[in-house]
Amino acid sequence: AFVPLTPRILSLTPDFSTSTLNLKWSDNGSIFPYGLDAFWQIQILRKETMEKVTQVIYYSKLTQEDVILSWNWTSDMPLECTSHYVKIRSYINVTQFVGPKDWSDWSAIEEVPGKDTEPNGSGMFPEDSVVAVGSDVTFCCIHEEGQEIQQMKYGREIYPMIRLSSRSSAIRVLNASASNASGTNVVCRLSEYEMHGTVLFVGYAPDIPQNLSCETSNFVTIKCTWKPGRPSGLYGKRETKYSLSERMSGKNVSCKVDETNGERVCNFSVNPDQTTYNFILRASNPIGQAESSLVIDLTQRVHPKAPEKLTFSGTNSTSVLLHWFINGSFAEIRLLCQIEISSGHSEQKTHNVSMPGGGFSTYTAQLNALRPYTKYQFRVRCSSADSFWRWSDWSRTEEHTTSEA
Amino acid sequence: MAAADSPSATLRRRDLCSRGIRLAGKMRSDVIDLLDTYVERQGLDASASVAVVEGVPAAAVEHWDEQSGTQRLLENLAAYRTFRTLLAQMLEEQREQLGEADAGLGRALAAVLLQVSAFAYHLEELLRLESRGAPSEEEAGPPQPLHLGLFERKLRGLGVLRELAQWAVRSARDLRQLAKPSLGSSSALSTAESP
Repeated sequence: AFVPLTPRILSLTPDFSTSTLNLKWSDNGSIFPYGLDAFWQIQILRKETMEKVTQVIYYSKLTQEDVILSWNWTSDMPLECTSHYVKIRSYINVTQFVGPKDWSDWSAIEEVPGKDTEPNGSGMFPEDSVVAVGSDVTFCCIHEEGQEIQQMKYGREIYPMIRLSSRSSAIRVLNASASNASGTNVVCRLSEYEMHGTVLFVGYAPDIPQNLSCETSNFVTIKCTWKPGRPSGLYGKRETKYSLSERMSGKNVSCKVDETNGERVCNFSVNPDQTTYNFILRASNPIGQAESSLVIDLTQRVHPKAPEKLTFSGTNSTSVLLHWFINGSFAEIRLLCQIEISSGHSEQKTHNVSMPGGGFSTYTAQLNALRPYTKYQFRVRCSSADSFWRWSDWSRTEEHTTSEA
Repeated sequence: MAAADSPSATLRRRDLCSRGIRLAGKMRSDVIDLLDTYVERQGLDASASVAVVEGVPAAAVEHWDEQSGTQRLLENLAAYRTFRTLLAQMLEEQREQLGEADAGLGRALAAVLLQVSAFAYHLEELLRLESRGAPSEEEAGPPQPLHLGLFERKLRGLGVLRELAQWAVRSARDLRQLAKPSLGSSSALSTAESP
């Protein structure tokens, strides 16, 4: 029968953070004709008893060159929990050979030792990890030789133990539910005073940010706000973080939570000579990420600050000049302002005026048809005249009395 | 040998001691409340036995009766300075881990930290009365333990709060001892003074 050479594992590399093994081996393709089908049977074994965990067949095509093949496997438990072993064998479909063909011998076994083989390896794994609601998680408790685990608890519940080795036992938590803010404790009690423990944070990936809205109050800064959607259930350094990037300028800013009202805000500096902004708001936490996008024409998203410093001049018995200041640079647009005039006698009147916007300037309006020797209350609010977006808040109310006739 | 106390010094000490005893009592009840909140919010088992926590001053003391007044004050002061550092570490960790999620626990921790600081100052006041002066600050403060997992930190916090509650009891007893007229004279305080 045709039996290929025994394959040789080049490397078996663990990534403990993702519980993933990476296997690399050479296909020895140089000694075979081009284009043959090759099958690689890979076995993963575990525990002291080297139980088979999984067996897969990997397929490749030989290319008359020695190619290094690579394969990843993610364990259902932390690699620290116990030693993992890998072996591989091959089957080459040599079409030119008419006789029977068979699998090669197994390669030498490669081992990734667990912490249960290390003198100071005691503890619980995974350590302080974050998973999505509904996940299945395996925890293991590694202790000293001769110690006995009294019990292993997940939160308030005692779980049946799975023996991995003389120094390691595991529990399997299925369909984990959301943890509270400080996480769910997983405790391995060895004696009254000795226990190992870890914490599991169970939450949600970020929701797609909702109601993303961006506006400017001064053509200096663009302020974006949004609703986070479903809470992630993760807090502190694991909470969802937001960043805002703008495609055209390529700029990126990180966002923060407004301490006063808990509103999420992102401030983006206005770029000179840029009117259209193509924003992407990214939300990310240890479980996943989501994003929303928004394209705006800044001149159509003007929400001025409330007018300030109302003053009067040029007064006579039936008219007055009203002045006010707006903190912002509005040279690119026209402003529409509403002046609300009220006095004790008559009902309120609203006076609309439109004027070219200025740069951090004071604006003026002439108010006529007033009654002599009458005390009036004035307040002002403004918006963009060209494409209305939102009124500013009203200014403070200021009083003025016209002179006698 | 220090000169015998003036009546005003004796009165001042007795006043400081009685105010200190009230402070310790209030601190103890607040620490007990904080413990309940802490255990519940950290998902711990209230009956969990916590081994001796490294860097936390033990309230239990041998030969308590034989201690001099100055010794009592010095040991108390060193302990509360250490607790001030430990509680500040816990508060920092709490903010890092929970952010705004558990502001209540954060406020309770901060309140106890304030009381511990106030009590340490009170002890310094008593030591100044002995014209001995409080030891300089850098003598106190445990190093932050190397890498501790979150669960170990939760347990450590539990150990800190439990020991602080014990210290509040011991401090009240120490201050009562100091306030006793027979022992209150400075000669009783100074003879036991070690260089």
